Parts: sequence; structure tokens; C-alpha cells
Amino acid sequence: MLKNITLGQYYPVDSLVHRLDPRIKIILLIALIVAIFLAGNLLAFVPVMLFIGFASMLSSVPFKLLLKGLRPLRFILIFTFVLNLFFLQGEEILLDLGFMSIKKEALISAVRFSLRLVLLVMGSSLLTLTTPPIVLTDGLERLLSPLRVIHFPAHEMAMMMSIALRFIPTLLEEADKIMKAQTARGADFESGNLIQRARAMVPLLVPLFVSAFRRAGDLAMAMEARCYHGGEGRTRLRVLKCKAADFYSLFALAALIAAVVLCGKVY
Amino acid sequence: MQVTLDHVTHTYQPGSPFQATAIQDVSLTIQSGEFLALIGHTGSGKSTLAQHINGLLKPTDGKVLIDGRDIHEKGFDKKEIRRRVGLVFQYPEHQLFEESVAKDIAFGPKNLGLPQAEIDERVKEALENVGLSYEEFAEKSPFELSGGQMRRVAMAGVLAMRPEILVLDEPAAGLDPQSREEMLSLIAGLHQKGTTIVMVSHAMDDVARFATRAVVMEKGTIAMDGKPEEIFRHAARLQEMGLDVPSICRLGLALREAGIDFPEDIFREADAEKALIQLWKGAEKC
Repeated sequence: MLKNITLGQYYPVDSLVHRLDPRIKIILLIALIVAIFLAGNLLAFVPVMLFIGFASMLSSVPFKLLLKGLRPLRFILIFTFVLNLFFLQGEEILLDLGFMSIKKEALISAVRFSLRLVLLVMGSSLLTLTTPPIVLTDGLERLLSPLRVIHFPAHEMAMMMSIALRFIPTLLEEADKIMKAQTARGADFESGNLIQRARAMVPLLVPLFVSAFRRAGDLAMAMEARCYHGGEGRTRLRVLKCKAADFYSLFALAALIAAVVLCGKVY
Repeated sequence: MQVTLDHVTHTYQPGSPFQATAIQDVSLTIQSGEFLALIGHTGSGKSTLAQHINGLLKPTDGKVLIDGRDIHEKGFDKKEIRRRVGLVFQYPEHQLFEESVAKDIAFGPKNLGLPQAEIDERVKEALENVGLSYEEFAEKSPFELSGGQMRRVAMAGVLAMRPEILVLDEPAAGLDPQSREEMLSLIAGLHQKGTTIVMVSHAMDDVARFATRAVVMEKGTIAMDGKPEEIFRHAARLQEMGLDVPSICRLGLALREAGIDFPEDIFREADAEKALIQLWKGAEKC
């Protein structure tokens, strides 16, 4: 039942993109976001699209999966597009409907804003699809660790994040099990009005919370029993090392930014 | 009441990289009044099979029939299946949620839409059935009970629906020896009163003691199906599948290996006792 929920799902295949250093991938994503916002005109989106297209090709993640990430956003997308299309002012009238008209500037901006959203989501899905969550937090911890100088708890943050991420599938499985058990006792989660449905969640949520607290307690105990005392002096299982591919990808990134800026200037 | 699985296949998350076929082309008919033990290694598809019996899982391929009717055809009332087939999951105590034991047990009957008077009566009966006194436990919070008591309350929650078939997924897992014994005799008692039992189990001694039929699963298919005495005759094959045999079977194997003529079809303690005494007497005569 709940197994169908995709939540930043990792797609387990081996590819060049999967093997990239998570730190580099995070930097790439941040830079990609910057590039998307730098893109001043439609032409400047072309290098960004090429970059994402190329990366997704290298990642051997089916393109369908990337598009699937857009589904939850479809209403926002349509909303943005329509809003921009009808309510932005401009000079050149493309289509006159009588009560309102579509201007050329509005069309361009509608395309721009929707494209921006689509590319943002696709870029970040590409990161989560090719990087297991635990590796991702590892990378994040390393990237944030210089902030320790100003007493930013980088390790603790990363640890909390990896624990939270690690428990998502566990709790989903648990929720699925409890849901089935209550269904077997005649519970109905699918019909009724909003209030009835909310009430029907009680038999699911109470056991789920009880079990989450129990698990948290057990985990804390197990960590203490193995002398966990925070990040100080801890060595790691996966030592992150940048390889040749990582440097090449940084070159590609530089080329992307340059292309975006250039396209913005030329047009 | 008769449940038939007709060439049932179930694949989890078809079409994704996590695709896994849990059971493959399984056909099985559960007769009324049986005590069927479902045996198999972890991941052999026992639990998946169990969840098909009351329609929680829909087969990817094949049919599940109750008294000859396909339960997934349009217009079949799902509540009807839930009422007639009770399912007790592994560690059922994890599904308790109400503020009092009585309310938790009432959850099932309430979902069936029964009148309050009948619900109260069923709660009382179910609690007594699992060996807990109504006066003492009804108003307690289920979360202040011991593990064994919690499990019995959870079981009562299913019994209150008065199912004709009771499917249990390792009902004795994780219990101390005494609670274990109580749980098993509770199940045996229900069987004697006429409830059809399907019990998923790893403990072969329990299977030998209670089951009237044993179905062995391996890699999503039925490897063996028959009376326990027939199944346990293939001790070597069972061990090959990574399964245990009853301790009496192991004793018999060891005795035969040592050259003592211990009969092959003995797997219950009481029978073994008789056979051993006979052997002993026979040896004295020589």
C-alpha cells in the first residue's frame, strides 16, 4: 500500500554519475541552481538543459523517472504558467480574446518561469536519484565541517539527518504493516469524508508513534553502549576522495556557467 | 467455509528495480476444520501467502476464492472477508492503540457495525478466551501491560470478530516458554471449538504437536504438502531447505545412525516415549 510512495528515491545502478563524489555533486547542484537563476533569457536555458540531459544520460537513470518527480508539482506548474501568461503586461499582442489578451512578453516569461521550476526539480531529483541518502549526508557533513570554527555542529546535524533518513523506510514499512493489521480488523482508510478519514488515521498513528519512540530509545541506548560521543576524533567507513571524473565534472560546470552568462549577454 | 488459492502469483513493486516475486503459481485449498501449518525459510513467501487469504494483498496473477467466489471480483464485500477470516500478524501487540483494553478489542466488532450490546458481549468473551479476566483488564491501558499480555489482548481483538478461519503469523515468536505454551494451547483450543487455523511457524515441535496438515514453502512455491507425519519423513530434504525437524525426528535419525531400529514415522513426544520403552524392553530380552 504505502510502498508506492517515492521519497527522494535512490535508483540503484552503477554509473559515472553515481560514482561521483557526493561533495562534488552537491556543489554541482548548487551551481546548477545558480545557473538557472542567472539565465536571463530563453537561450540561456539551452546550456542548462543540455547539462541536465547529458548528466541524466550518463547516470543511466530512466528519463521517465526524472519526469515522474515533476508530477507532484504539476498544479504549481500550470498555475505559474497561466498566471504569467494572462496577467503580465507587455506591448506586442499575440492573441486577443476580447476580455483579455496574451502579450508576447507574458508568453516568454510564462515559459521562463515554468522552465525554471522544471529544471530545478529535475536537477535536484538527479542528485537524490543517483546518491544514497546516507552518502549524501556524509558529503554534506564534509562540506559544512569548515563551519566548525564558528561552532556550527556539522557532525551532529549530519548524524541527525542520516538517522532520520535511515528510519524513513523502516517507519514506512511499519506503517504499512500496522495499516494492514487494522484493515484486517475491518478498518477503512479509503472512504468517508475528510473528518472520517482523519479519525481513521488514529489507529495507524498511535502505534506508529509508540514504535518510533521505542526505536529512538533503543537506538540511543545502542549508540551509547558503543561509546558514541559525537564527532570528535571519529574516523569514517567511507573516506571521500575526489577522482579524475570529479575534476572533469567541475570543468563541465565551469563551462556551463560561462555558457549561461554568455548566452544572456549575446541575446 | 473453504478458501482456495488458484495459481496465485504475487510480485512486489512490479516494473521497478526493486521488483520481487514473493510467491509463484501457488495453488492451495484450505478445508474447513483444518489446522494447517505453513512452514518455510525466511523469505519463502509464507507471510505473503497468509495475506492473500483474507484479501489484504491482491494477487498479481491468479485468483483467491472463498466458497467458490472470487474475492477480488467487483461487488464482493471486503468486510465480509475480514469478518470471516481473522489475521493475526507477527508481533500483533504493536498494533494496539486505544486508551483501554476493552476499547481496543471493540475496534474490530465496531468496524463490522454491530450493536453496542453485542460488542460488549464479544469483548468480554474474547478477553476470557485469551485467559485474561474482564474485571481486571478491561479498563487498563494496553500500554501498561506486559509483552505477553499485550499479545493476548491483540489476539482478542481479532477473536472478537469471531472469524471462521484464523490466520496466525508466528504467534509464539519472542514469548517466554510459559506464555508460549499458553498461546499455543489457546490456539489448539480454538481449533477444537471448530475454528480453522492457518499458522505460520518455524517451530517444528509445535507443528508436530498441533497441525493436521503441513505445507512447506520454498522460494515462493509449495515444496511439500501433506500430513505432518508424511512431511517429517523427508527430514533430509527439510534440512536441505534450511529448515528444522522436530527434536524427536532428530533423536530418531541419531538412533538409526547408531544402528538402533527406531521407527521413522514417529515425531510426537508421547509416541516416542512408547517406542523407546518398547525398544528398551526388547533389548532387555536379549
